Amino acid sequence: MSHMHIPDGVLPVWLVAAGWIATALILAFCIRKVGGTDLKRKIPLLGIISAIMIVAMTLEIVPIAYHINLTVVAGIVLGPSLAFIAVFIVDLLISMFGHGGVTVVGLNTIIIGAEAVLGYYLFQLFRVVMGNKSMFQEALLAALLSLILSTSIMLGIVYLAHVGPESIGSAGHMISGTGGGGINFPRFAKTVFILSPLGWILESVITGLVVKYVYRVRPDLILQERS
Amino acid sequence: MDVSSIDYYANHGTSFLHRARAASKIIFAALVIAAVVISDSFYLLLAVYISLFTLVVWTRLPVLKIATIAAYPAIFALIFAAASWNGSWMNAGIIVLKALSASLAMVILIVTTPYPDVFSCIGPVLPKIVTEGLFLTYRSLFVLLELTGNLVKGLRVRGGLTHGRYVKNIVNFSSGIGLLLVRGLDLSEKFYGVLKVRGYSGKLSGGVRDGRTGSDDIAAVIVGILIFSAALGVKTDSEFSEYAVYMPAVTLLILIVSAAYALFSESGGIVWKR
Repeated sequence: MSHMHIPDGVLPVWLVAAGWIATALILAFCIRKVGGTDLKRKIPLLGIISAIMIVAMTLEIVPIAYHINLTVVAGIVLGPSLAFIAVFIVDLLISMFGHGGVTVVGLNTIIIGAEAVLGYYLFQLFRVVMGNKSMFQEALLAALLSLILSTSIMLGIVYLAHVGPESIGSAGHMISGTGGGGINFPRFAKTVFILSPLGWILESVITGLVVKYVYRVRPDLILQERS
Repeated sequence: MDVSSIDYYANHGTSFLHRARAASKIIFAALVIAAVVISDSFYLLLAVYISLFTLVVWTRLPVLKIATIAAYPAIFALIFAAASWNGSWMNAGIIVLKALSASLAMVILIVTTPYPDVFSCIGPVLPKIVTEGLFLTYRSLFVLLELTGNLVKGLRVRGGLTHGRYVKNIVNFSSGIGLLLVRGLDLSEKFYGVLKVRGYSGKLSGGVRDGRTGSDDIAAVIVGILIFSAALGVKTDSEFSEYAVYMPAVTLLILIVSAAYALFSESGGIVWKR
């Protein structure tokens, strides 16, 4: 459980709708950005990487919900824009498998997409700072930091739900959801920070080892330059 | 996530939900999810979950397996429930039932509808790159699942995954994932080559299967409308909400009768005679 899939019905509708709008805007930006590249060639790659992420999710490392996501690997291989689109595709598909909420695909995409985008930029940063000395360490650190940051984003989203729509000026008991206002945020944050580190460590180590392996076999996939 | 089983159920079922068109079942799932989102009555949510369970019985698919597939979000819902704990089991139950019911509604849609039909239905509201990505992800998924199965088997046979050697296991497992990634990328090149030969110009067609709206479609939509109406009634009408407490009992009765009928009709009455 390096990140959490927010289930349906626990967050207020105003927040869920905001998540969809934000995801639509980010998606539009990403699609515009990748539009100039050789998209016909990139779409099969996008499909394969999305499928690899789903396959990775089916492999349970520690019983009960601990699985790897390979979001940072996807970020490194695809680049930030395509990786965000891949995350949206994966979230949409797994929500159909009952693996995470369907109404919260927008919010879950923001959380997991942030993981992929931050993973890409942090990896590039560590490559410059550490000078390509150890792909394992660079990828591990990038994954670890991006997982911590994406978990913090998730907590931020739940905090917004905790604030409640009435105090933000939105409205209506019909759209207030259940869990949002009723969540004891400090307790929730404590639970998440107790459960998550094992997932962060596993995912980061596996990401580091995968990137190290791919770098040895196909360095062009890791070191490719993007405009 | 047992993707292969889900795909098998979607393509080999013969129930009224399997016969209904994807659009009708998407409307059904949307109505159930809307009901789940607006509802905060424990009894109503329990009744919705039992009703969905009854639908699974009607599909003649393995009930427990499908309920297990749909139970995954309960793990995360439990964390939310623990964080919202105020001494009331009902409040915790509401959060868990919301997650379970919404998930089961989606799983019912997906175990009764082949994926291409679902993608074709939602395609018009999605960007082209996402729709094509969905088709190609789905197409690649089964190839990669087979590769992964062989890989894990190979690792086990050659002692790459053994009890007690956790560090070595993680290193071998990660190399396996790396290999999968490299093979996947080669596969994407092959896909592109094959698509190009077939005249791919940046557009994949995933035509919806022909079919007229029939009684199966109407039945699926009516079930969705009934569930949504009940949720709306309980939410807005205080008199009606008093009856919510009886809803789980009524739906449970329907579930028992349905299960008995399914068992009886499948065994030709042999079970009852014995």
